[in-house]
Amino acid sequence: MLDPAIIGQILWSSFANSSYFVLFALAFALVLKVNGVFNFAQGGVMTAAFYAAYTIVGTAKGPGWLGFIGGLAAAVVLGIAIEVTGFRNLRLRRASPLFVFIFTLVLTELIAYIAMLIFGTWPTTIFPSLYWPVTLVGGIAISEWDVPAVLSAATACIALFLFLRFTRSGQCMIAVADNSELAELYGIERNAIYVHTMAVAGLMVGLGMFLFGARAQVQPSTSIELMLFAVVASIAGGIGNLWGAALTAVVLGIIQNGSVLVLPSEWQGLLLYIFLFVAIIFFPSGIKLPTRKLKVSRRATELDGESQET
Amino acid sequence: MDYIYSVVILVGLSIILASSFNLSIGYGGLISIAHPVFYAIGAYASALLSRDAGVPVVVSIFVGALVALVASVMVALPSLRVSGDYLMIASIGFQLGVLELIKNVNWTGGAGGLTNIPAFIAPTFGREAYVLLVLIAAALTILIIYGIAHGPIGRAMSAMRDDELAFMALGRNATSLKVGIFALGSGIAGFAGALYAHYFRYLTPEQFDILQSSALLTMVVVGGIRTAWGPVIGAVVLQVLPQAIAFLDLPTSFLGPLQGLLFTGLVLIFMFVRPQGLVSAGAVWRPLRRSGAA
Repeated sequence: MLDPAIIGQILWSSFANSSYFVLFALAFALVLKVNGVFNFAQGGVMTAAFYAAYTIVGTAKGPGWLGFIGGLAAAVVLGIAIEVTGFRNLRLRRASPLFVFIFTLVLTELIAYIAMLIFGTWPTTIFPSLYWPVTLVGGIAISEWDVPAVLSAATACIALFLFLRFTRSGQCMIAVADNSELAELYGIERNAIYVHTMAVAGLMVGLGMFLFGARAQVQPSTSIELMLFAVVASIAGGIGNLWGAALTAVVLGIIQNGSVLVLPSEWQGLLLYIFLFVAIIFFPSGIKLPTRKLKVSRRATELDGESQET
Repeated sequence: MDYIYSVVILVGLSIILASSFNLSIGYGGLISIAHPVFYAIGAYASALLSRDAGVPVVVSIFVGALVALVASVMVALPSLRVSGDYLMIASIGFQLGVLELIKNVNWTGGAGGLTNIPAFIAPTFGREAYVLLVLIAAALTILIIYGIAHGPIGRAMSAMRDDELAFMALGRNATSLKVGIFALGSGIAGFAGALYAHYFRYLTPEQFDILQSSALLTMVVVGGIRTAWGPVIGAVVLQVLPQAIAFLDLPTSFLGPLQGLLFTGLVLIFMFVRPQGLVSAGAVWRPLRRSGAA
């Protein structure tokens, strides 16, 4: 029998680690929802964000907060540049999804090669040490990285929710996501909204990559695997459903990390790809929870009743 | 000279891969990027059969191709439930999953790679003979695919790609055609993988990863999708140009990323300067006479 403390520890660590997965998934899902692009160039943005923070903190010995801002700035600037110089052009040319896919993937590779030339292929970290002091809470070790990571991811989720709900730019994003041509008829400048979306996604990626780089070693090719996690979460959570993607990222993170209880750790990677394959083949519209179906059907019945009464 | 032979063999294999990929992705309209995994399956199957089971290499090469073909049918049947972007991403999951499996299984050599693969032809007849074999295989692949694309099957593929619903309404079976195209392209890729294994005699999962998919996809699209010669030109240009700097006296740690940078940079330039590809696809099926003249 497994010790409950060990199970608790694995669950907590998995939950804490899923903080950056949530941010990557949200960024990917947001661009997919609003811009309508499977943005594999997010991998390049992740690489740029990490190495910007690493240059400031690891190489120039600057303070952590400056590295954090540098990472965010790099991600936002690169995200906007990709939209303005790449996606906008491709949209104007009515490029096929395959063409856009190649563009995003090749761009990620290009940025990885540039990083290899400048920083080498060895794994690096933002801070000199990956060790974070721990505190025991009920037999579970909670590191000084865990709580800020979980809190910052949760804050980012709340901020995104409020942004989309209450700001003009956020509301325009939702309008463009629903029907971009109709939104344009109502005076919303579509291209500006696409740029805003890439900037917001850049902020998410910058924060996520700073958290990841403070916890684990990164090399130029790391971001591709991290990005695939975001792809799985976005699809399994339901395309267009940001919060579904975020929740799926947490669940997948817990399942993948928690799998060490039943599987050797080297098989963790395979689980992700099985999820990816199964999610798309069997749940291309996302995994629907039964309660939601009930709510929808109940509402439909209510509406039906109302219409009959009138 | 060995280096030149290796480059020519790589170019020949890329032509086979890009042309067979063009069959499924271009002519068939099946947007899957898992082509390199069938290349890997052919390579590993042939290498393991000849090395561990003592099967003659010439037989193991064909069995390797057959294993890739069967594997592709097994993955195509569930995968073709979805199409477009979804199929593309499902194929990424399948490709990376298989490679992860190869990495973690002992009998494939794991992440360290498979070594001591028996050589074929080169020890007896010299490397030139192997170069010739690969070039003949490349030429045959082009001919086969050209023949398919410009024959009755090509007409059916074109109709299915343009309007699948109408195609099925005419009583044609779209699923069997899709599976057939996918299996043929994958079988050819498996054959190329087996040829690769018995020349270079060392296989690692990294040789078949998503970057390889991106490279192949690029050869097809930059060369000219749905054309017989586009993937050939794409394979030659994108394999040979990055090699140009191999003769510069640069450290290995610098040369690899620089070649990668050159490759990806070229792709991006081609994509924006000549998006239709180096060879642009005309109408494959042109009427014999202008309708007005008829």
